[in-house]
Amino acid sequence: MTHVLEARGISKSFRNGDELTEVLKSVDVTLEEGELAALLGVSGSGKSTLLSIVGLLLAPTAGTLMISGERVEAFSELQRTLFRNQHLGFIFQFHNLLPDFTAMENVAFPAAAPAGGISAAMRKRARELLERVGLAERMDFPAARLSGGQKQRVAIARALMNKPALVLADEPTGSLDRVAAERVLDLMREVNREDKATFLICTHDEKVAARCSRRITLLDGRVDAAGETFVGESATKLG
Amino acid sequence: MFAFTVARRYLYSSPSQTALLISGVALGVTAFVFITALIQGLAIRLTADVTANSAHVSLQQPTRVARVLQNPAVHTEAAALVSTFQRRQIRTWRSTVALLRNQDSVSAISPQITGSAFLVKGEAVAPVSVNAVEVESLNAITPVSTQIISGDANLGADGILIGVRLAQDMGLAAGQPVLFRTDRGIDRLLTVRGVFRSGVQSVDERVAYISLQTARPLFRLPEGVTNIEIKLTDPGSARQVAEFLHGATGLRATPWQEKNANLEGALTAQAQTGTLIQLFSLISVLIGIASALILSANRRRGEIGIMRAFGVSRGFIAAVFILQGLLIGLLGAALGCITGYGLCSWLATLTKPDGTMALPIAPSEGGYVTVMVLTTMGAVLASLIPARSAARLDPLEAIQQ
Repeated sequence: MTHVLEARGISKSFRNGDELTEVLKSVDVTLEEGELAALLGVSGSGKSTLLSIVGLLLAPTAGTLMISGERVEAFSELQRTLFRNQHLGFIFQFHNLLPDFTAMENVAFPAAAPAGGISAAMRKRARELLERVGLAERMDFPAARLSGGQKQRVAIARALMNKPALVLADEPTGSLDRVAAERVLDLMREVNREDKATFLICTHDEKVAARCSRRITLLDGRVDAAGETFVGESATKLG
Repeated sequence: MFAFTVARRYLYSSPSQTALLISGVALGVTAFVFITALIQGLAIRLTADVTANSAHVSLQQPTRVARVLQNPAVHTEAAALVSTFQRRQIRTWRSTVALLRNQDSVSAISPQITGSAFLVKGEAVAPVSVNAVEVESLNAITPVSTQIISGDANLGADGILIGVRLAQDMGLAAGQPVLFRTDRGIDRLLTVRGVFRSGVQSVDERVAYISLQTARPLFRLPEGVTNIEIKLTDPGSARQVAEFLHGATGLRATPWQEKNANLEGALTAQAQTGTLIQLFSLISVLIGIASALILSANRRRGEIGIMRAFGVSRGFIAAVFILQGLLIGLLGAALGCITGYGLCSWLATLTKPDGTMALPIAPSEGGYVTVMVLTTMGAVLASLIPARSAARLDPLEAIQQ
């Protein structure tokens, strides 16, 4: 199987004055195509830091990082920006839609900004994605007028716009009520199953983790081997 | 360009804030236009006032300095000039006038004899500055005929026109005789044909007009004239025309600016003061734009972070803010030019009780192109600070906030 993500010996430390805090200590993680993995851990375990490093939003102190077969840890700022645009999708806890744009424009944004405008093909793809997440009738609604659950569904559609190799989700149901959270999780599972999209979901919610095919638990900056679980045939062992 | 769409959308999203921002720019531009139109208007009026009643270029014989002619073959112990005085007159004035008539830039020509004389009436004696002119070109330089308040402007063979203050001081009125005594010691009885009021005190109490023919025997100048006064179609070109005429005739050519050096200095100082005011009004406009966009960039940190996370380049983010600055600058400058022109045009219609303009303002001289270009360019420059700060935003930090 193809490794979508292959992180080896990822370490990250932060200096605060004379004090050096080591948040990640030689973390190894691999994800294969089509996996739906939950990244678990208590607060301060380093899961958000790992997600940021994998999302090329933060550079590791040490280690190698391969995404879609490409070494990315030493990329320049510009290379990271382009790579994020073409290979990664993001879903954040607070959806972070652009409030002055419609649902369709928000979804098309990752493709439209580098291209200089929303083409007919982009519009078609955005429409399909919004139909997929059940928001066809809200296509031209300003994002600011959507409910919390609807906004998060638009955020999922946006994350999928450029057909990313890996979708990174940070507490995607953290700000939703139970019904909306269920719907968002169902949607992510459906996209994962039908499109073979690979998801790495950072969460501290056991219910979210239970819906994933694999659990990766971080404990004190290391992968807790005791906390890893593989469910289903798409799962793979930790590297 | 998608960055333009985003910039426009950002401006639309806060209509009241955008309207206030554009109004602020427009206000600054209006102030700029008003100051420019006022200063230009004042300069135009002062220049017109000065040049309306005087020549734009005066031609005179250059001062001749006598020199000792020496024969190198003969040894001379010492030589001294006994006298260097020579009356300055232009003997070839007719050919000079013919040359001037062929110049497109020349609108009027008046060959004159100017000199000093006394008017004597009984015990009253008053010095006068005499302008002897060709009868047909009496109004070429100064519109004397229009300034006559009693009598008429018909000089004739023995006529004289005097100013109203001089007439009052000497108790003279149109139709009365007066003894005219020149600096050459020649007396002649002239008749006051008309009394004029120029509005300039020194002229009204010291200047008198007689005909050239009358002046010739009185000033012992049977052929020549002392000066040729010229009006130009464009008074602003006086320096260049004077230079040309000096080269073409060998005569000393004096432009009106040289005769009114104080006025020129005052106009320059006034223009410099105006430039400072314009500069400060533009700077305040630009500070306003920069601070508003900095606030906008701070308010939209989260959105910028998301865009950056999704792989939107720093250049795109910077372009969004620069384009906002450009739009605000363009719209504000255009609105400011319109309101500025409107305000100046309205002020130009206000008149004083005597019918003259209340404010010497020139609405067409508001510096509209300059202010449009400066404001738009300045707005783009002002937006570089927020654009740079937005583009350099760390996406992770922005999203976490």
